[in-house]
Amino acid sequence: MSEKKSLGKVFYNGIIPENPTFRLVLGTCPTLAVTTSALNGLGMGAAATFVLVCSNIAISLLRKFIPDQVRIPAFIVVICTFVTMVQLLMQAFVPSLYESLGIFIPLIVVNCIILARAEAFASKNAPLASAADGLGMGVGFTLALTLMGSIRELIGSGSVFGLSVLGESYEPMILIVLASGGFLTFGLLLGVFNLIVKKIEKKKALKEVQAA
Amino acid sequence: MSLRISTAPHMHNPLTTQRLMQYVCIALLPTAAAGVYYFGMPALTLLLVSMASAVAAEFLWQKIARQPVRIGDCSALVTGLILGLNLPASAPWWIAMIGSAFAILIVKQLFGGLGDNFLNPALAARAVLLASWPAHMASSAFVKLSFYRAGLDTLSSATPLASAAAPEYPYSLLQLFLGQTPGAIGEVCKVAILLGFLFLLLTGTIQWRIPVVMVGSVFVWTLLLGTKMLDASLNTALTAVLSGGVLFGAVFMATDYVTSPITPFAQTVYAFLIGLIIVVIRKFGIYPEGVTYAILLMNIATPLLDRFLPQKIYGHLKKEAK
Amino acid sequence: MQTKTFRRGIHPLHHMHEGKGPTRDLKTREYVSDTVVISMAMNIGAPAKPCVKKGDHVDIGQVIGEAQGFMSVPVHASVSGEVVSVDSIPSLGAGNVQAVTIKNDFSDTWVELHPLGNVEKVDPKAVIPAIQAAGITGMGGASFPTHVKLTFQAGKTCDTIIVNGAECETHLTADFRLMLEHSTRIVDGLRAVMRALNVKKGVIGIEDNKPEAIEAMQKAAQGREGVSIQPLKTKYPQGGEKQLIEAITGRQVPSGGLPIDAHVVVLNVGTCAAIADAVIDGKPLISRICTVTGAVRKPANLLLRIGTITEDVIGECGGYSETPGKIVFGGMMTGICAPNDQMPIFKSTNGIVVLGDKESRSKDESPCIHCGRCVAACPIGLNPYQIKVAADKSDFATAEKLHVMDCILCGSCAYQCPSRRWLTPSFKFCKDHITAEAKAKAAAAKERASAGLSNASDSKDKGSKEKQSADHASNKEGGANK
Repeated sequence: MSEKKSLGKVFYNGIIPENPTFRLVLGTCPTLAVTTSALNGLGMGAAATFVLVCSNIAISLLRKFIPDQVRIPAFIVVICTFVTMVQLLMQAFVPSLYESLGIFIPLIVVNCIILARAEAFASKNAPLASAADGLGMGVGFTLALTLMGSIRELIGSGSVFGLSVLGESYEPMILIVLASGGFLTFGLLLGVFNLIVKKIEKKKALKEVQAA
Repeated sequence: MSLRISTAPHMHNPLTTQRLMQYVCIALLPTAAAGVYYFGMPALTLLLVSMASAVAAEFLWQKIARQPVRIGDCSALVTGLILGLNLPASAPWWIAMIGSAFAILIVKQLFGGLGDNFLNPALAARAVLLASWPAHMASSAFVKLSFYRAGLDTLSSATPLASAAAPEYPYSLLQLFLGQTPGAIGEVCKVAILLGFLFLLLTGTIQWRIPVVMVGSVFVWTLLLGTKMLDASLNTALTAVLSGGVLFGAVFMATDYVTSPITPFAQTVYAFLIGLIIVVIRKFGIYPEGVTYAILLMNIATPLLDRFLPQKIYGHLKKEAK
Repeated sequence: MQTKTFRRGIHPLHHMHEGKGPTRDLKTREYVSDTVVISMAMNIGAPAKPCVKKGDHVDIGQVIGEAQGFMSVPVHASVSGEVVSVDSIPSLGAGNVQAVTIKNDFSDTWVELHPLGNVEKVDPKAVIPAIQAAGITGMGGASFPTHVKLTFQAGKTCDTIIVNGAECETHLTADFRLMLEHSTRIVDGLRAVMRALNVKKGVIGIEDNKPEAIEAMQKAAQGREGVSIQPLKTKYPQGGEKQLIEAITGRQVPSGGLPIDAHVVVLNVGTCAAIADAVIDGKPLISRICTVTGAVRKPANLLLRIGTITEDVIGECGGYSETPGKIVFGGMMTGICAPNDQMPIFKSTNGIVVLGDKESRSKDESPCIHCGRCVAACPIGLNPYQIKVAADKSDFATAEKLHVMDCILCGSCAYQCPSRRWLTPSFKFCKDHITAEAKAKAAAAKERASAGLSNASDSKDKGSKEKQSADHASNKEGGANK
């Protein structure tokens, strides 16, 4: 990335144009597994964001010292460190969330998004830009997971963030909070998101043509 | 003088897609009538709701997606009717509505509409309903049938298969055949299903191969393996064939054009494997019934079967022999 | 006798729309019009070159078009009279062709004929030259020059001559009437060919919906050496060359090959009768039996001079019974649409079917529902629905991999399709495209090899145009050009 982009643009990039979940389709494993409720989605997103920002900064700072041949192991070591920190912090302060996310917390280590951003962005850019990128990607991931979690929780349990929304008489569609429901929701949201992005891009292209 | 010019052939078999779908509807009528006779008004309501919502869903989608509206081809009607017949009469109306919408919108239209769905829409919708609202769809749904005419409302099983847990099997073969058992609206009355089968055969809508091989396969495998609770015997095999959705599935669902193979040999393999999967699920699975999943699984395998079991092509025999 | 047949095909076709009823029992009658337009391109291969000019007087049987090379046949005057014009007319396929218009003076004077006499005594070597001189082409629809068919490359052998009397096409009764009225001529023609090729076995295949024809032919074949009659099951396309060979001999023509690769030569009954005329009487091919039916007032089987104009023929049959929507040359399954009613009769025109406005309306395609009726119908064993998917995407490579080139364009799949998909037209398009591409490639390779010889591809181009007017013939032609 030789051209300089403003920090705001780098940040925005991760939310819509290159949303890790819906546009890059990265980190689908936790996406499918933990989004059974909005809170789980938010927690997972927050944990991943923390790791993303920290590892992006650390790797960006170290980018001139890490030999090219061993960069992947080196990245993983950095990421591991932050994941362990998050894991211990969550275990200490939000044990219930820690319980419900379970194995997916340590698995953040192998989350594609984090390694991909380290490789594609942080290892080639300055710390500040890397932090913005990590934050943008993290927020994009968090928003996507929270959205998916909310939808699945709403349909599958009739509530959002644990608050009953649809009332007592609502009979939840259990399938949606099961694994197959995860795939179903993910697929449909992917379609909808791509439809929206395509519309936006079309409008943009039209504007550019008109301007020219 | 202006004349039309086209490439041959200049005439067509009068059988159209619409006519074929109408034939399927007609063939389903005895089954639906038997269901309404046994389960009363709630069954009728369910059938009407599921048909209406299937057609409405198709219409809305084609309007929104700016496609030509093809509800006239009756395919949505067939999907709705088959889905309705797959529901227990005690299911609430909104189950039928959601099921139909799911079948048409997600299983059929999102994959490209008529002819491009990779699963049988009605069956996929049934599987979704079964997983989503087991209370309305599975075993316990049949307990509340106080309006059930045969006076069997004390029984607590989805299909007669589940009650095979009892030491004595509660239904005679005749009762199974006539439909005096609990079950989904359409699957209980075997006489009506066979009538429909006969109609489909006579009108040339379907070939005999898939239903006959599938039922035969269930019969043979049950004869060999038995069921969860009953030992392998001739009586068990007959009971297995007449219980649950085997006949209904064989005649109306496994034969769905779009999701079944085309060449005779591929069809035979397809139907045979459906039978095997049904028996395996019934004997080793946690569900008492496996017709839905067996057919869905083989639906997915259909393109493979079509691809790897092709017909011999004229004039290519000798070349290979050389 | 036991009936034989091939695999698949469509059974119910004949019960539902056989369409032969109106003309089946009508005796053939002759009709001669006062003007004929004789096309120079009535055969697959190179068209003939006109050798008369405006104002010339011609007698019946006089050569008016000279054959251009071996893959070509001469054209003869079918009436006596004055040549009115020599110009180009639209052809049934694409493009224009040369044609000679003759005004009939009804004096019916013949040129001097050279009869060879009894087919059992004729010199076998004289038969094929006589066939060539008489301008005989396949009369069942494909118009393949008969002398080419009867001349094989070294190393190929023939042990059976099959005569095609199946007439599986709808509406047509021309071959049926010929078999009833001229059964001995057909057997004579067959014997002439058998002697010419030194073949010991001749089989005449007839569908079992024509019991009278089977009986008549059996009577005619009595006491003739090596000739037998084989009843065939009534099923479409029983009269397709490949299907006939499979039904009668149990052999299959290898993909891309010719019947001779299965050691068989197939001749139409009409061709056999024409051969008998050419050998016994020395008469060239100047007339043929043609069924005129459909939306005409008085359907008929007519003995027509080659070159009779459709409008006159329809007039002879009492005119149109309703506004015509389509005029089909041939049967409903493989016939070709005439662009107008000025089209003349060709040597291969076995029928003219007029369709009313309502019947001729084309229907829109609806989505394929994978019902498999096309696969069950295909006499070749192709997967028409898959080829159609490739054809719709203009994916010719995939279509070729799915063996679209083996398609005989019989129309069975398109007839059966409940979604009214345009299967056969798509396959024809695919085949034409692939053939043209292969030819272009071969031509380019040739050009690279010898930049000077650019005339070589000329005759081939003309051949490809002609091909469009042939139904079952594309395979044959490909093979013949090799």
